[in-house]
Amino acid sequence: MCYRALLALVLGLTLPGCGFAWRALKRNLSAPPERTVAHQVVDPKRPEARLAALWVGHATVLLQLDDRFVLTDPVFSHTLSQASPRLVEPGLDPERLPPLAAVVISHMHFDHLSFGSLDRVEQRTPIVLVPPGVRASMPRYAFEIRELETWASYEHDGLRVTAVPVQHIGGRYALDSAFETRAFTGYVFEYHGLSVYFGGDTAYIPSAFQATRARFPNLALALLPICPDAPRDFMQYTHESPNQALDAFTLLGAQRMIPIHFDTYINSDDAFGACPRELRERMQARGLSDEQVQILAIGEQRVLIAK
Amino acid sequence: MSRRGAVPLFALVAFGAFGAPNAAAEEVSTQPAPKPRVLSPAAAVGIWAAAQLIPSPELVIGKRHVGGGLRWQLTPVLYSFGIAERPLRTFLISPIARHSGSIELHVSPEWACCAANEQSGWLVRAGLRLYLPLLEHGEKLSWSVGGSYYHAAGGNSRNGAAADLGLFTFNGAFGLNLTVSPWLSRREVITTFAIRLF
Repeated sequence: MCYRALLALVLGLTLPGCGFAWRALKRNLSAPPERTVAHQVVDPKRPEARLAALWVGHATVLLQLDDRFVLTDPVFSHTLSQASPRLVEPGLDPERLPPLAAVVISHMHFDHLSFGSLDRVEQRTPIVLVPPGVRASMPRYAFEIRELETWASYEHDGLRVTAVPVQHIGGRYALDSAFETRAFTGYVFEYHGLSVYFGGDTAYIPSAFQATRARFPNLALALLPICPDAPRDFMQYTHESPNQALDAFTLLGAQRMIPIHFDTYINSDDAFGACPRELRERMQARGLSDEQVQILAIGEQRVLIAK
Repeated sequence: MSRRGAVPLFALVAFGAFGAPNAAAEEVSTQPAPKPRVLSPAAAVGIWAAAQLIPSPELVIGKRHVGGGLRWQLTPVLYSFGIAERPLRTFLISPIARHSGSIELHVSPEWACCAANEQSGWLVRAGLRLYLPLLEHGEKLSWSVGGSYYHAAGGNSRNGAAADLGLFTFNGAFGLNLTVSPWLSRREVITTFAIRLF
């Protein structure tokens, strides 16, 4: 009896995940060669901008807030954990990064925390901010690694970075997710009256978005993940669908949104282009304009607020 | 503009500024995502313990024969000099703590078998091993060098010293380990395809 219950529990917990993992493995094995980015930005400093964003790919975004630069979840590697190949090359050569005021890491998964990529920004940032529990799973670097609890802030020279609540899953090597139950976060950056939300990787949690809006009522921009979407019954615990990302955008009350976390690596059943296509359809149904939801190509930089 | 006229105008502006987003907010889903199913720490330790029972296959090379074998491994204590925090770890050790640079005390029971005209036999070794990163702080590639002291059971029971050299990849999950024991009869060189979960 005990054995059957245990077997049922193990099968129940693992089969949906195994099926998805098997399909993802098959898609990875037949992945096309990495696409190149035709016109990479050579100098990402935009003197005419108060707020600019450059989508490097996946959750990596170079943000310019006046004269300060912040980099989110830097991943420049061509494979994830030596298994999942990159579909589109990084939209910016890390050698061309300006001096950074801070780098933030949303959680420890391979598509958000790349130790090799951090090597490439090591001399460009004084600090890397991480969620609780992550420091003990990171190698030593020249920069400071500081953990931020939810609602805690890092402040330096006018820039304030605050950890905000999201729902995801911690850990890096599967088994450690049992111990790293708080090791995921979003962030809000504030500088010179500008504030920007970065969702990292999150499921749809209205209360978290409302609480963030209550503290940051004037978000100029929300960087929100829109993928992986399929299979939804498996992804719903940890990832927003494109439609839910639009709901999150509304709840955050941000002036504009840039979708992230799609079409860079294979980590789902989604076909290339499916998530932004779904997003466009939902935008149309809601009457949201291209000004409100700005879908960037990998490597594209956009000035969102000019001086 | 009269005072009476200003009130509705103010209300209209206020609605435009604050009312409209709230109205939009009412249209969004209020249903939160279910909480993810996460292993409990006890279950994780159980899985880790079960995973330690999975042996690493060996190719055992003696002076006059070639055989097979299995090796299990445990790390009672490890000091990581490559990790940013909590350098001292025991048993359940994160791959990055090990492969970013560390020194471990390891214990390995081994079983040699399958050589023609030779008896199968057990061996236990304990030793120190140094891990050093090669690529991506050791997650992609790392190497190791170590020494151990063994006790071989059975008819040819004897003790002795061995040296080993290893190369590891895929977050330390897979590797090749070469153990040389010049004085260990019938098992002078042991090549292990190392499999390890934490």
